[in-house]
This record gives sequence, structure tokens and C-alpha cells, in this order.
Amino acid sequence: MYSWRKIREKLFTFTIILLSLLAIAPIIHMIIVVSINGIVTFVKAGTSFFTGLPPTPLSQEIGGIAPSIIGTLLMTAISLPITITLAIFAAILATEFPKNPISVAIDAIAKSLASIPTIAVSMIVYTVVVVPMKGFSALAGALALTIVALPYAYTYFSTALRSVPAVYREAALSVAMSRWGTVIRVLIPIARNGIAIGVLMTMARIMGETAALLFTAGRFRNRVSITPSKPVDAVPLLIFDYILSPYDIWHQVAWGATAFLLLAYIAIFFAVKLIVKEVKL
Amino acid sequence: MFAVEMNNVSVYLRGRQILKEVTLKVPYNTVFVIMGPSGSGKTTMLRVINRLIDITEGARVVGSVNVLGFDVMNYDPYELRKHIGMVFQIPNPFPHLTIYENVAIAAKINGVVKNKKELNDVVRWALEKAMLWDEVKSRLHEYPHQLSGGQKQRLCLARALAMKPKLLLLDEPTANIDPVNARKLENAIVSLKDEVTVVMVTHSPYQAARVADYVAVLYDGMIVEQGPTQQLFLRPTTDIAQKLLRGEM
Amino acid sequence: MMTRKDKLFFISLLPLSSSLLTILVLSIATVALKSLDSLQTFGLNLLISSTWNPERGVYGFLAPLIGSVTTSILAVITALFLSLPLTIIIAEYLRGIVKNVVSSIVELMGGMPTIIYAVWASQYLVPFLKEFIMEPLHNVFKFIPLFSCRPITGFSIFASGISIGISIVPYVTAIILEAHQSIPLAYREACYGIGATRYESIKIMLSLARPAIVAALILGFARSLGETTIAAVTVGNSMYLSSCLFAPGYTVSALIASQFANAHLYPYAESVLYASILFVMMISIALSFYGSSTIIRWRSRIVV
Repeated sequence: MYSWRKIREKLFTFTIILLSLLAIAPIIHMIIVVSINGIVTFVKAGTSFFTGLPPTPLSQEIGGIAPSIIGTLLMTAISLPITITLAIFAAILATEFPKNPISVAIDAIAKSLASIPTIAVSMIVYTVVVVPMKGFSALAGALALTIVALPYAYTYFSTALRSVPAVYREAALSVAMSRWGTVIRVLIPIARNGIAIGVLMTMARIMGETAALLFTAGRFRNRVSITPSKPVDAVPLLIFDYILSPYDIWHQVAWGATAFLLLAYIAIFFAVKLIVKEVKL
Repeated sequence: MFAVEMNNVSVYLRGRQILKEVTLKVPYNTVFVIMGPSGSGKTTMLRVINRLIDITEGARVVGSVNVLGFDVMNYDPYELRKHIGMVFQIPNPFPHLTIYENVAIAAKINGVVKNKKELNDVVRWALEKAMLWDEVKSRLHEYPHQLSGGQKQRLCLARALAMKPKLLLLDEPTANIDPVNARKLENAIVSLKDEVTVVMVTHSPYQAARVADYVAVLYDGMIVEQGPTQQLFLRPTTDIAQKLLRGEM
Repeated sequence: MMTRKDKLFFISLLPLSSSLLTILVLSIATVALKSLDSLQTFGLNLLISSTWNPERGVYGFLAPLIGSVTTSILAVITALFLSLPLTIIIAEYLRGIVKNVVSSIVELMGGMPTIIYAVWASQYLVPFLKEFIMEPLHNVFKFIPLFSCRPITGFSIFASGISIGISIVPYVTAIILEAHQSIPLAYREACYGIGATRYESIKIMLSLARPAIVAALILGFARSLGETTIAAVTVGNSMYLSSCLFAPGYTVSALIASQFANAHLYPYAESVLYASILFVMMISIALSFYGSSTIIRWRSRIVV
């Protein structure tokens, strides 16, 4: 019937718009709520939130999360270069020898690595690094983060390299460039936007990862530490511990830290969007 | 001796035979044109000469190819390519390098120059030979994406020339550019004869007539006829060659 | 045709690239070896019982295992109801700047650290669910075993499932959207060509994309199995196995998060936890492969 068709159409449109709004609503609510609660903490604590030490459970002062921020930065500084180097080599191999069985294997291996639950990574690095070292450390944490981030970095980089039109590789070969020359002088520069995006997204992943640090980093948050072989804290870890605790002051700190993490993530996201705009082939 | 000598060269692509027992002799310092309709295997022939056929999946080459005295099939292709410049059908200047850098990089990595001054000289020489210098001399540090198709193609020619190659391979270089620029390119090509040997591929008999010293007619992977231009056009010996040269096929 | 220089190039890339293989092998080997002890000692008992008493050396992770599966099923159902409409809206209804903004929001959601989801879920979503969904459902449907228990704190299998579901919406949406882009324009045009309304042509598109959508949900399921932070803060941390969704429960990852730190104090405890994650890992890897290969096969079938 003609009108029944139209009604069905309108009903359908209405339902999916409603459900779509429902799908997006959480993130909007999340951003608003985290910002508000975070700002409350920031205002109460002042700039010492980024320079001070965390409070004791019954304290009235909010203190700060400096050890966690430094810890996150330290582990990122160790993990990011390693992750990027390993991933870019694997991506180059997969792009330069696409039909080779090893390249196909690398794709499959990356996929498998990505399906390993991050808490398992934490357990593995615990057994392999923390136990022999007889203690938690920033190094162990960074290693766990590397394992988690590798498959993502590899996917970003291989997508970026694969998107370089084949004609430029041919042009490079025709001016007698070597294989490595082609990669370094032509492929990578042309793919630099995609690679930059990959680096930033990998960094965001590393900075926001929690489960992989549970049994590796050590949760040392009483002092700022930059020794890689000693225990360290991280912002997501602090949030996890504090939000699970029953203490109100720690909840406030957790909100502040969450807002800080959210801000850092959004900043990286915007940087990525700016780079994407710049694509011009 | 010949700049390029092919003897009974056959090329198979995934089982299908693209080139069928091609025998060819290109004299030094000439413009040698390989002419034929689309799909006859002209591009494949060029790519065998500088071993660019290597990167084509499932390609197999049979027969002997001699380029500038080197046994191509048994010689290191990366070394070989230092002496061979190539211009492709669709212009492909490096988008991430400036006009100057596009030409310079070919000279730099092949050790053609020893210092910055020599580099500047070679870049200018190459651009002049490609008849592009006047149009870009004031914007050497701009990027090639603003150039027209014809200008990009001449830039690619300059890039190839900066290598100071002995052999130049041109794959239908004027196929995608306007007639005015096409003429400029043809003039540039003919003027290069003294310094390089040119092997050019085209589907247009008129172009062949304009620039070639020698012509080889390729049809369905086989050399139907080859010889000096005049002789070929005035007195073709085979029927197919006659039809192709008259533009009837 | 690989010349000597090509081979050298290949070999120069090999050592660092093969690090991925080394890491994978090391990871699986570690988990498998560490599980061996408890698997040999307790065997299938681990899977059947849900008594957890490390001091007496009694272990059974049936409850967390079922919890992981149940929360993942709930998560996938949630994702289905939210992702599919979102994908349709983005793919078929939106254009220009609005489409860009919405797509960007989805991208933003996708890369968000899960700890932020966890904090928001535990402090806001769970109380909301308790008051507006769980309690009403319980009051009206308490004769159904699934809803038979009264939600006290709200932390439960149900809350955890919904929370995780919301967090995987961007992931599932991205996969379905990509699949939708792969559908050749020819099919879409054919729909309008036969006079279908938008709703009808979308229905046709969906049935065309059904294998890809199912694959997306399978991949989402695999992702939910491994989710730790959100589960740990919303599931309630109770080993009690019940058929009621509103009761607190456990997932394997939440169990490990709370128990692993002290596991070295008890014999076999570490090994048992390793065994539990071994199960989850195997299922997760298998499902990921199945999901991805389904999409690849589907894509090659629909290309014109």
C-alpha cells in the first residue's frame, strides 16, 4: 500500500536517528562530565596538580600527580622509538616484497598480536622481565607498552607506505636508485603524512594504556623517578587505582588525572586532523 | 656495435606471450622509434632494456639482450640503470621535491657531479636540453604540481638527462600532452642525438615520421619490419607495416 | 626476479621485522608454559567449578569465564543496536561538513583510552543503568531468571556488558563503514533504479553486507573478551555464579586484575590465572582470524 510504505520509511528514519544519537550521546556526556569534574579538581589544587605529589587517603589537600606524569613520559620516551623502528621496518618489508610469504606472515602476526588481551601482555612481561629483575621497572612497563602498540603502529605505517602510487617507485628505479635509496628518498617522504599520523596515534595508544602496566610498572607514586630500572607510575594506572578506592580525596585526584589524560588525547587527535588536511599528491 | 641489441627475445606475462622472438638492433646516436598499435608490447620492450620488467609480477624474459655492451639479463640492474634514462607515459616528477631537486637528485646519486657548482650547471644544462629552462628558471624552488602536463613531462626528461645517460628510453612521452608541448618535446628529443641514443615508443606513425632515424614496427608482439625511416615509409615490404604506417590500422 | 642486491635489501630488513614473530611466539609460549602446572594438576576442574580459595588451594574459574562470555555477548548486542544505525546515518544520510564532524567524533571515540570510559562508566553510567533500566526491569520481570535478583550497587554483569558495548561502538562502526565503502556503486545505483525507497535500498545494502556485519560483531566480541579496565570497575568482582544478569560477577580479565598481584603467595595461583587467560587468548585470536578472513572473502565476492 502506498501510504504504508511511506510510514515505514519515516518510522525507520526516526528510529535510526534516535539510535545514532544514543550512540554518540555517551561520548558527549563523557567529555562534559570529565571536564567539569576535572576543572573542579584543577581549581582546588592549582598548578601544583602537575608538580606535586599525590595525597594520603585522609588528607584534605589534593596535591598533585607529578610522579605519574613523569612516569608516563618516561615510559613513552622509551617505548615509542622502539615501537616505531620495529614497525617501520616490518612495514617496509611488507610493502617492498608484497608477494613474499614472509610479508603475508607479518600481516597475520600483527593481527594475532593485536588480539592478545593487554592484561596477558602484562602477565607475560611480568614473568619474562619483572621476575628476573626482581622488581617492577619503567623498562618493564615500556616493554609491555611496546608489545601492545606494535601491531597498531605496523598497520598505520604499512597503510601509509602502500598508498604511495607505484609510479613513483618506478621513477625512482629509473634514475638508478638502490632499494634502500628508493625507500628513504622517495617512499617515506611521500608517505610522511601517513607516517606522522601513525606516530601520533601510536603515542596516544601508549600514553593511555592501563592493563599492560598493571604488573609491570610498579605504581611507585611517592616520588618522581626517572630511573628506567626502578619502579614508576603512570597516569592511567593512578586513575585506575584511585577510582577503585573508597577515598573521596583520591576520587578527586582521579578526576583531575582523567581530565588531563582526555586533554592530552584530544590534543593529539587535533594534531592528527591538522596533518590529514595537508595531504596533497 | 649497437647501443641496443635484442636477439630472439620473448617475454611471457603470467603465461601469455607478450613479445615473440624480437630481434632488434639500435645504432648509437640515433633516434630509434618503435611504432605499433596499443597492446602490441612496446612498453614491455622498453622495460626489458632497463630491467624495469623485474618489478612486474609473473614476468619471464627469454633471449639475449645487449645494452651498451652489457649482457642485460646477467648484469646488476641497479648498475645498468645508471646509464639509462627513462621517461614514462604519464609524467611522474617526484611530488615531494622541488623542480630543481627533481633534476638534481638524478645527478647527485649517480655521482655525476662533485660539488654544488657542478650540480647547478648540470641542472641548468638538463633543463635547457629539455627545453624547459626558460619556463621554470624563476621558480626552481617551487613544487612540480603546479606545472602543466607538458611541462611535467619535460621535467621528467630533464631528470633523465641529468644522469648523463648513454641511452634514453621514452615511453609514448607525448601521449598525454597537448600538441604544442608535444612538438616542443619532439624538438628536444631530436636535438639530443649527439649525446645520447634515443629509443622511443609511439603509436603514432606521424610522430615516427617526424623524429625517427630508424623505425621498427611492432604488431602483436612481433617485429613486422624495421629499417631507416625513409625506406620504411616509402617502401614498406609487408602489408601490415604498410597499413600501420599509413595510419590505417 | 631477485638479484643479489634485492636479496641483500631483504636480508637487511629481516632482523627487526622478525621481532614481531619473536614477540608473538614468546608471548604464547610464556602463557602456555605457565599454565601447564595448573592444567596438569587440576585439569578440567578449573573449567567446571567456580570455587575460588587460594589459601586452600581450590580453584575454579568457571564464573569468570562465563562472565567474560556473557559480558561480551551483551557488549555485542549493545554495539549492534548502536553501531548499525550510526553507520547507516553516516553512510547514507549525512553529507559534507556534518558527515565530517560525525565521522571525526566516531574516530575520536575509537582511539580514546579505555580508562576514561571506565571512570565515566563506573561513576555515571552504572548508577544510571541501575535506576532507569535494571530496577524497572527487575520490578516488572522478576519471574524471569535473568532479571530475578535485585540490583544493589548496580555493578553487575549487565552493567559491565553495556559499558564495554558502548566502548566498542566506534570499532564496530569503523569496520562496517569500511565494508560499506567497498560495496560497488553499481549495486547502490541499481537499488534506486528499481524504484526502491531509501529504507528499502538500505535493507538491500544491509543484506548484501550481512557477512561483513556479522564479521564486525565477531571482531567486536573478540575485542570485548580482552577488555580489562572497564570490566574491572563495573563488574562487581564477585565469584558467585548466578543466572541473574543484575548480580555482581567476574570476568577473566577483572579476576586477573584483582588477584594476580598476590598470586605469587599461593601455590598454583599464578598458573591458574595464566590458564584462564590462555583460554581467553585462544578464543580471541581464533575469532579475530575468523572475522578478518570472512571480511576479506566477502570483499572479493562482491567486487564487480
